[in-house]
Amino acid sequence: MPGILIVEDDLELREMLRISFARKKFTVLEAENGRDAILHFKPSVTDIVITDLIMPDEDGLKVIMKLKEQKPSIRIIAISGGGKVGPGNYLNLAKALGANAVFSKPFSINDLMIKIDELLEPEQHD
Amino acid sequence: MLKAKSDNHGGEDYLRYLENEKKISDQIIDYSRSMITIINRKYGYEKANATFCRAHRMLTDSIVGRSLGDIWGENTFKAYIKKNIDECFAGKTVRYEASFETPGLGIRYFEVIFRPLSTGNGEVTHLLAETTDIDDLIHSRKAVIEKEEEFRTFETNLPIGFLRVDPEGKIIHANRTFLRIMECGEEVPVLGINVRDFYVEQGIFEMQLDQLAEFNTRSFGRVYLRNCKGREIPCRLSAYVALDDNGRTSYIDFALEDSSRELMLENRLLQAQKLETIGALAGGVAHDFNNILATISGYAEMLQEDLKSDNNHYKKASRIMSAVSRGLSLTKQILTFSRQVEQEKVPVSVAEVLKETIGFIKPVLPSGITIKSKLSKNVVWVLADPTQLFRIFLNLMTNAFQAMEEKGGKLAVTQTVVEGRSVRSELNKDIVADEYVLISFKDTGKGMEPSLLKRIFEPFFSTREFGKGTGLGLSVVHGIVTEMEGEILVSSEKDKGSVFNIYLPVLKYTAEPLAGEKRKKILFFSGNKHESRILIIALESSGFDLISANDSDDLYSIFTEPGNSPDLIIYMADTEMIKQEDLAGLYNELKIETPCILITDPDHGVIEENLLNSGIIKQHLLKPVSLRELRDAIQFAIK
Repeated sequence: MPGILIVEDDLELREMLRISFARKKFTVLEAENGRDAILHFKPSVTDIVITDLIMPDEDGLKVIMKLKEQKPSIRIIAISGGGKVGPGNYLNLAKALGANAVFSKPFSINDLMIKIDELLEPEQHD
Repeated sequence: MLKAKSDNHGGEDYLRYLENEKKISDQIIDYSRSMITIINRKYGYEKANATFCRAHRMLTDSIVGRSLGDIWGENTFKAYIKKNIDECFAGKTVRYEASFETPGLGIRYFEVIFRPLSTGNGEVTHLLAETTDIDDLIHSRKAVIEKEEEFRTFETNLPIGFLRVDPEGKIIHANRTFLRIMECGEEVPVLGINVRDFYVEQGIFEMQLDQLAEFNTRSFGRVYLRNCKGREIPCRLSAYVALDDNGRTSYIDFALEDSSRELMLENRLLQAQKLETIGALAGGVAHDFNNILATISGYAEMLQEDLKSDNNHYKKASRIMSAVSRGLSLTKQILTFSRQVEQEKVPVSVAEVLKETIGFIKPVLPSGITIKSKLSKNVVWVLADPTQLFRIFLNLMTNAFQAMEEKGGKLAVTQTVVEGRSVRSELNKDIVADEYVLISFKDTGKGMEPSLLKRIFEPFFSTREFGKGTGLGLSVVHGIVTEMEGEILVSSEKDKGSVFNIYLPVLKYTAEPLAGEKRKKILFFSGNKHESRILIIALESSGFDLISANDSDDLYSIFTEPGNSPDLIIYMADTEMIKQEDLAGLYNELKIETPCILITDPDHGVIEENLLNSGIIKQHLLKPVSLRELRDAIQFAIK
C-alpha cells in the first residue's frame, strides 16, 4: 500500500484528494502547509508527495527541496492554480528543484492517477 | 530774454548795452554743446563757437574766413556737405544724421541741422549750422534695437506660446508658438479676438482673472482651449498681470504650453497601472477559483467512476465536467491577461501566421466587408507562441468586422518593419529593440468615442450586448503583446474607423533544420487547414515531425502504409468534414493503439461520448490551446 502525503492549504481540495486516494487504497497523510509537511515528514511510510506551490508558512518549493534532501527516492508532484506570482515560472522552478511531474489546477484526477502509477513503477533498466 | 531799451537812454549807453547783449549771446552760443557756425554763400565760415573750435582743435580766428573745403577737405565737402548747404540756401531747413571725424572727438555720430538765415528782404545770405554729437544716443538706440531683436527671436523660438491681452481679454500680441499650437496661421487675424473665445468652458477665463487679482495666482494648471481648427487642446497656462501707475490692470501676459503629449503619456501610465492592478486582483481570484474548480472536477470524476456510463446520473457528472472546463478556460484567459501564464515561445514568421489567420477568417467574412493585406516580402521572425499570435490577430480582425457589421467596409492589414529608435517616443519606452515589426489593422467601421477607447483593454469591459462574449478578448490581447515585450496602440475616430497597431520586437534568426535525433512523429488530423497550420507551425518549431490529414481517407492511407505510423495523433474536432465516429471507427478497424489528443471548441459541438469513453483519448484540450498546454499534453500522452 503506497503512502501519499498531500500538502495543500485549501481544505476542500485537500479533502477531495484525500478521498480519491483513499479510494485507490493509498495510505494518505496530510499537511496544510509547507512547514507542517517538513516538520512531520515520515520518510519510511511516504512514497509520493503531492504539494501545492503557493502556501502560507513555507511554500511548495521549500517542501520539494527539504523532502528530497531527507529521502532522495521520494516522488513529488507539484500542483498549482496559477496566479499571484507567475505559476508558469513556479511550476518550472518546481521541476528544476526535483519535482517529478507538475499539474496545473484544475487537473483530472484520472490523469494524476496515471502519472502516479507511472512514477511508482519500479525503475526499468534497458 | 533781454528786452531792447528805448533810444532816449543815449547813444553810448545803447552801444554798451548792445555790446553786453552780444557778449551774453556769444557766451550762450559758446557754451552750447552743439557745434554752431555761420556759413556764407561762398561756403566760408563767418562764425564758429567754442565747441566747434574744440572739436577741430583750432582757434576761432583760424577758422573764420576759411572755407568748408579747407576745414573738411575738398573731397568730403563736395561729396557730402555741399548739396545739403545748397539746399539750405534755397530756403529749406536741412536736417540729417551722419558719422564723421573731427580732430578733437574722433569718429562720432552727429546730427546736422542747416537753417537758412535771411535779411529783411527774404534773401538767404547765410546759414546757421548746428552739429550735435549724438553718438551715445545712437549707440544706446542701437543697443535697444538689438535687445528688442534678441528678445523677439527668443520669444519666437520659445517652445512656449506667449500671448498679451488687454484688460478686457482682447489679444494685443501673440507669438509664433501660440499661433502654431492654436493652428491659427498668421498673427494678424488673431489680433483683437477676445482670448475668452478660445476657452472650451465658459467662465474659466473670468475665474482666472479673479484669481489673478485676488491671490496673484500665476499658474492655472491644465485648461482646455479650442484652437482655430476647432480642436480641443489641453494647455498648461500661467499668467501675469501688469499694472499701471494707478494700480489698474494695464495688460495680461499668458504663457501656454501644449500638454497633449504629456496628457497622453500620463493617461497611458495610468492605464498601465490600472491594468496591472486589475491583473493582480483578477490573477488572485483566478488562482483561488482554480482550487475550487479542482475540487469540483475531482468529485465529478469520482462520481463518474462510481456510475456506469449508461446510468442516468453519469451524464450529469459529465455536464459538471464540461462546466469545469468552461470555468478553466475563463481562468486561463484571466491569467493570460494578467500575464501570469508563461508563454512557450518559438521563432515564428509573422507573415505566415497572418496569412493563415486571414485564410481562416475569409470564408466566414460577412458580405460587404473586404479584407486587404500587404505583408512584407522578407520573412520577419518574432519570438512567440504561434497560437497566441493567431489568437490576437483573430481577435483584432473579428473586432474590426463587428465594427463594420452594419455598413460594411474594408479592413487593411499591413506588416512592416520599423526601427526601434524611430518609434521610441511612440512606444514610450526607454529601452527599445533594434527593430519592431508593426502589424496594423485599420478598419472603416463605426469607431469609438475617446471615453470608450480609454477602457478597451480592461478585462470584462464589453460594448457588446450582455451575454455576448466575456469582455476578455482585448485584455487578453494586451496581456499577450505585453508579455512579448511588444506594445499595442490604438487610435479611433467615431464613424470613421479604428486602427490597432501592434509592435513586436524582431528576432534575428535564420531558420535551420533542428538537430535530427529521433524526432517524434505527430499526425495532425483536422478539417480546417488554416487553424491546424498554426498548431503545426508551433509544433514543428518545437522539434516535432508533423504529417497532416484532412479527412478520413487521408487517415486511412497513412495508417495502411507500412512504416509510416505516427507516435501520436492530434485530433481537432471542429469541422463538418470529419465525423467523430470516423476516428473511433478507424481505430477499431485498423486496431490502432496510437495515443490521441483531442482538441475541441468549448462553445460549440457536443463531444461524442463514445469517442471519449473509447479509451483512445489520452488528453482532452479546449480551445484556445497554447503551445505550452499542447506540449505538456504531448509529453503526457507519449510516455
